[in-house]
Amino acid sequence: MKVLNFRRVAIVLTLVWLGLFVLVPHVLVVLTSVMSPDPQHLAVWPVTLASWERLFEPVYAEVFWRSLWLSTLTTAICLVLGYPFAYIVAKLPGVWRGVLLFLMIVPFWTNSLIRTYAIKLILGNKGLVNAALLGAGLVDEPLQLLYTPFAVVFGLVYVLLPFMVLPLVSSFDKLDGTLLEAARDLGAAFWARFRLIIVPLTMPGIIAGSLMVFLPAMGMFYVADLLGGAKNLLLGNIIKNQFLVVRDWPFGAAFSVALIVIMAGLLWLYFLANQRINRQGGLDDEGL
Amino acid sequence: MTKTARFAALLLLASSALHAEEKLVVYNWAQYIPESAVTDFEKETGIDVEYSTYENNEVMYAKVKLQQGKGYDVIVPSAYLVSKMRQEGLLQKIDKTKLTNLKNLSADLLDKPYDPGNDYSIPYLWGSTGIGVNAKEIDPSTITSWADLWDEKWQGKLLLTDDVREVFHMALKKNGFSTNTTNPDEIKIAYEDLQKLMPNVLVFNADAPREPFMAGDVDLGMIWSGEVTMAQQENPDIKYIFPKEGAGFWVDSFTIPTGASNVANAHKFIDYMLRPEVGQKVVEELGYSTPNTAAQALLSETLRNNPVIFPPADVMSKAEFQNDVGDATKIYDGYWEKLKTGK
Repeated sequence: MKVLNFRRVAIVLTLVWLGLFVLVPHVLVVLTSVMSPDPQHLAVWPVTLASWERLFEPVYAEVFWRSLWLSTLTTAICLVLGYPFAYIVAKLPGVWRGVLLFLMIVPFWTNSLIRTYAIKLILGNKGLVNAALLGAGLVDEPLQLLYTPFAVVFGLVYVLLPFMVLPLVSSFDKLDGTLLEAARDLGAAFWARFRLIIVPLTMPGIIAGSLMVFLPAMGMFYVADLLGGAKNLLLGNIIKNQFLVVRDWPFGAAFSVALIVIMAGLLWLYFLANQRINRQGGLDDEGL
Repeated sequence: MTKTARFAALLLLASSALHAEEKLVVYNWAQYIPESAVTDFEKETGIDVEYSTYENNEVMYAKVKLQQGKGYDVIVPSAYLVSKMRQEGLLQKIDKTKLTNLKNLSADLLDKPYDPGNDYSIPYLWGSTGIGVNAKEIDPSTITSWADLWDEKWQGKLLLTDDVREVFHMALKKNGFSTNTTNPDEIKIAYEDLQKLMPNVLVFNADAPREPFMAGDVDLGMIWSGEVTMAQQENPDIKYIFPKEGAGFWVDSFTIPTGASNVANAHKFIDYMLRPEVGQKVVEELGYSTPNTAAQALLSETLRNNPVIFPPADVMSKAEFQNDVGDATKIYDGYWEKLKTGK
C-alpha cells in the first residue's frame, strides 16, 4: 500500500513538473509563433501565419543552410575524432577506461563560456596557435583564425565532443567480441569486419552521438557570438536576436518551433533506424 | 546561454530583493563603473548592491520591458531609450529633492529634448564613438573619416560595435544625413552603403571593443572614447580618431524603473554617484566624459586636457547627440538583422 502511494506521488510529481516546466512553456512558444508582433506588448492577437511565412525568406534560408552545414561539419569531425577514441576507451581495462573518461569530463566542470573565451586566446592573432606557426616559420604573418567559421566549428567540436563519445563507448561495450573472432576465423579482413560488423553494431551509438552533437550545434549562439564575431551564423543567433534585440517575439518563436520540428524529425529517424538495426542480425531477422 | 543564465540569476536576485530590506539592484553597461564605487557605497550605507550588466541598450530594454519595469532599481539607458522608456511608462519620476548633489551637473547636458526638465533621468556619463587605430600597424594620419573604413584594403579587418544605432551613425554621417533620421529613404541609403562595408567587417564586438585591439586581433575599427583611454594605459599605440563626418555622441543616464522595489535606495545610490570625488574616480578609471563639473575640477591637468575624454571645440561644434527615432526603430532593426546575416 505504502509502496503504491509512493509510486503514485512520484508519478504525479513528475507529471506536474514536466507539465509545468516543459509542456506549458512549449505551448506558449507555439502560441506566440502564431501571434502578431507588437513593439509595445511583444506579441498580440490576432492569429497570423506571417511569422511562419517569413521563415522562408531568402535571408533566413541562407542562415538555415549555413547553420546546417556548420552543424553537419561539427558532427562529422566529432565522429571522426570520437569513434576511434570511444573504441580505445571501451577496450581498455576498467581503471584506464575510468581515467580516460574522467579526463574527458573534467574540463566540463568549468563553465563552457569561460572555455570559449579561452579558445579566443588560443586562436587569436597573437594566440598560441599563431605564435607556434610563426615560431616554426610555417607562416610569415598570423593566420586569421578567430572570428571565422573555422573558429566556430572548432569551438563547437570542443564543447560537444563528449556527447559523441559517451554513446559510442556504450555501443562499443555492447559489441560482442566473439562475432569479430568468428569473422576473422572465417577469413574476413579488417576492412570487411569493420564495415560489416563493427559499424552496423555500433550504429545506434553513432546515430545517438550524432544527434546529440548536431542538434545543440544549431543553437549554440554564444559560441558563434564569441568566436564567429557575432555575425548571424547559426539559427540560435537569429532566435536570440529576435527575442532580445529586434523584439519580434512571434518570429523568434516560429524559428524556435521550426528547430524543434527538425529535432523531432531527426529523433523519429533515429527511432526508425534503431528498430531496423535491432531486427537486423537478431533472431527475428528474416534475412538470416 | 550566458544571457539566459544571467537573466535567470537576475530573476532569482530580484525575487530575493523583494524580501530583504536594504537592497539595491543595479543594472548597468558592462565595465561602466569603478568596482570600488560600489563597494564603498555598500560600506557607507550598509545597502547590499546586486550588480549586473548588459552589452547593449536593446538587451536591457527587452528585459525591463518583459518584466514591466520590475526587478531592477537603477538602470542606465542611453538618451534615445530614456525617451522611449519614459513614454512607455517604464520609468518613474526621480525625486530631485533627494539628490543633494544634483547641483554638480553641468547645465549643458541637462533639460534635453529626450527628457525635458530631467524628470526621469540624471546624466551619468557621456562619450563618443570614433575610430580606433593601432598605430604600430597602421599610420593613424591616413585615417581621417568614416569613409576610410570602406576602403577595400581592409577586407576582413574591421571591428564594429554590436550596436545598431552606432553602426548606422557611420553610414548616415558618411552620406550627410542626421544620425537621428527617421526618413526611410535615408535609412535605406545608409543600409545599402553598409552592405558594401560588410566584407570588411571581421567582428561585431559587444562588451569591450578595446580587447580585440589589445589582443592584436584587430587594428582598425569603431571604438568608444572611454575604451581608448583605458586601453592606452596598457598600450599607448592605440589611437583615437574623431572622423571628420562627425563622431557618434551619446549620454547614458541613471533612471529608476517603475517597478523598482528599492526606490529610496536608488535615490541614495544616484546621489552618491553624483558626488564630486566619485565622479572623479569614474573618469579616472573609465575614461569617459562626466557631466559633473565639480568632478571635472578635481581631475588632473592631463586628464582635463585629454582630447579623447574632453573633445576639442571644433569636434564638439559638429557633435550630434543620439536621440529616440520612434517607430523608425523597426526599420533600423530590420536592416540590422539583415546586415549581420551578411545581406
